[in-house]
Amino acid sequence: MTSITLSGVNKSFGANFPVIRGVDLTIDDGEFCVFLGPSGCGKSTLLRMVAGLETAYSGEIRIGDRVVDKVEPADRQVAMVFQNYALYPHMSVYDNMAFGLRQAKTPKDEIERRVKEAARILQIEPLLDRMPKALSGGQRQRVAIGRAIVRQPKVFLFDEPLSNLDAALRVHMRSEIATLHRNFPAASMIYVTHDQTEAMALADKIVLLHAGKDMLKHGSIAQVGKPLDLYHRPRNLFVAGFLGSPTMNFLPATFVGQETGGAHVTLKGGEELVVPVDGSQLAAGAPVTLGVRPEHLAPVPVPAIQTLTRKVSAVEHFGEYSFVYLDGGTPAPLIAKVAGDGGVKAGDSATFVAPADCCHLFDADGIALNHLNSL
Amino acid sequence: MASSPVSRATGRVAVPVLGLIWLAVTTVPFLFMVMTSFKTQQESFSSSVWTLPEAFNLVNYIDVLSGSFLTYLKNSVMVVAISVLLVMLIASMAAYAFARIRFRFNEALFGLIVAGMIVPIHITLVPIYLMTRHMGLYDSPFALIGPYVATSLPISVFILTEFMRQIPKELEEAARLDGCGPFTIYFKIFLPLSGPGLSTVAIYNGIMMWNEFIFAYVLTSSTSTRTLPMAVWDFQGQYASNIPAILTVVTLTSLPLIVAYAFGQEKIVNGMMAGSLKG
Ligand SMILES: Nc1ncnc2c1ncn2[C@@H]1O[C@H](COP(=O)(O)OP(=O)(O)OP(=O)(O)O)[C@@H](O)[C@H]1O
Ligand SMILES: [Mg+2]
Repeated sequence: MTSITLSGVNKSFGANFPVIRGVDLTIDDGEFCVFLGPSGCGKSTLLRMVAGLETAYSGEIRIGDRVVDKVEPADRQVAMVFQNYALYPHMSVYDNMAFGLRQAKTPKDEIERRVKEAARILQIEPLLDRMPKALSGGQRQRVAIGRAIVRQPKVFLFDEPLSNLDAALRVHMRSEIATLHRNFPAASMIYVTHDQTEAMALADKIVLLHAGKDMLKHGSIAQVGKPLDLYHRPRNLFVAGFLGSPTMNFLPATFVGQETGGAHVTLKGGEELVVPVDGSQLAAGAPVTLGVRPEHLAPVPVPAIQTLTRKVSAVEHFGEYSFVYLDGGTPAPLIAKVAGDGGVKAGDSATFVAPADCCHLFDADGIALNHLNSL
Repeated sequence: MASSPVSRATGRVAVPVLGLIWLAVTTVPFLFMVMTSFKTQQESFSSSVWTLPEAFNLVNYIDVLSGSFLTYLKNSVMVVAISVLLVMLIASMAAYAFARIRFRFNEALFGLIVAGMIVPIHITLVPIYLMTRHMGLYDSPFALIGPYVATSLPISVFILTEFMRQIPKELEEAARLDGCGPFTIYFKIFLPLSGPGLSTVAIYNGIMMWNEFIFAYVLTSSTSTRTLPMAVWDFQGQYASNIPAILTVVTLTSLPLIVAYAFGQEKIVNGMMAGSLKG
């Protein structure tokens, strides 16, 4: 049993605003869970609480069926990989990996067996006698992971392990971490990142934490779920706006009424759309926000139902696709991501269809109305 | 501030010139000392101060080394070695606590200890003399260890605390996850990583103690218990006006320091910078 359960967890530093707020979360046996969120939302703090490096919080954390709130970090059967690797600079690669085992009085031959095995998995056997300063960033990262592997932990904790690597290496190490997860199916992993691509690529489950202007939500969970659930069914404006690049377009709209196909809304531009969500709680005339992702806006020749017609303010070409910037979004311009060169230029008037299933509707509090169709 | 080309050019000339002048000021007496130590007493009176010795005459060295010089040397080495080791141990432990352990009076205590740097040792002489007598340590080389350690601690704690504050917090956390308590973290992580800071502390304090005169003068009185700085004092009485012999004593006394400095120079400079350069 290596599930991890957090119940009613709150944490603040001194007398400041809480950094972690009412977190209830279960990470299942062998699950790869990613803590995602903008800088300062408390991802690291939450991870460090699981590691036992942050104390003085309220609530309860269990690893397996053991409450670990009073358990020393070393006794939690967790291993952590730090953002800046935190290798002991005065010890060789071998000693870095063996250090924890020696502290635990593991027999010498067992230490050697485990270090060699980890080095083999990570392909760092030739580096075992080197000092950390004689290693490249990617190699250091491997050693840091090796140090975690040899301890045979029940839970691996990663705090932005790839953020110090260059882009190409980051993609490579990302796939290695995915492989690592497959090699240790019994261990659960918690992985902190602010990079949504990493999160989407690796996670079985994403925990997206709130941050931003609304101090009352700061450090609380915005949504938990499978990566594609968060992408296709964001539960609120924060999640909708955080995931996806470029970010989701938001348009102010007015709720007209609930029809069989969904909620009927009118946009500022006069267009009428039907979004397949449950708006039965809303009064006619209620202000709502329509959300539609740039990649879901498809160009069409003539205005029809479910379409938006706007003036093109700029076009950016990337070869494979183009960003078409349209007037009339609030606050940011509307963006459509279209294949090829898009076939329009600045100054044109262009029409895009927003497929009903790809539209989202948020009420005045920013909460998403439930979709009528499941994924 | 952008300096004008003119002032930059002046700087390019003035800095080396001033440097050379300073070099002369510091090395000329030194050369004089070494040169004279090879002269006979006769020669030192008859020849000019600046003439080279007629021959590398070792008579003064033989004379001095066959006297009680070696006893002084032994006392100095013992006192300085023990004191330096104690300073490194105590100061590094204190520094670890100040740099890494959060407790209520951390900053206040640190400030108090560092403030010890401004206490002039002269006002402590009488109390220390009395204490030493009470403890029955008067006229023993061990009497010097206490005052030496005490007067070295403020600067040493200061240097090492600044040094340890720069050791990344994550190393300590990694060690905690690896099962280390505070003592293991201190011994296995902080102490080894403080190597440059520790050598600075050792060399700096070692030099101060090697040359220390006042405590040695006040707390010891016999030939068998005194340290090298007192040797000069004693020889001065013994040799009266034998200037070459006195300068031989001084040369021999400074030799270990010169050797130490030659090997440790880089570390001294680096260590001093480490304390002052902080982001
Ligand atoms: N030791 C501390 N004392 C006071 N405040 C802290 C401390 N550690 C973190 N915080 C605050 O808690 C909040 C969350 O910090 P945390 O490091 O968990 O954020 P994060 O999500 O990991 O951000 P990043 O992506 O920048 O690493 C921040 O506002 C931070 O300023
Ligand atoms: Mg962080």
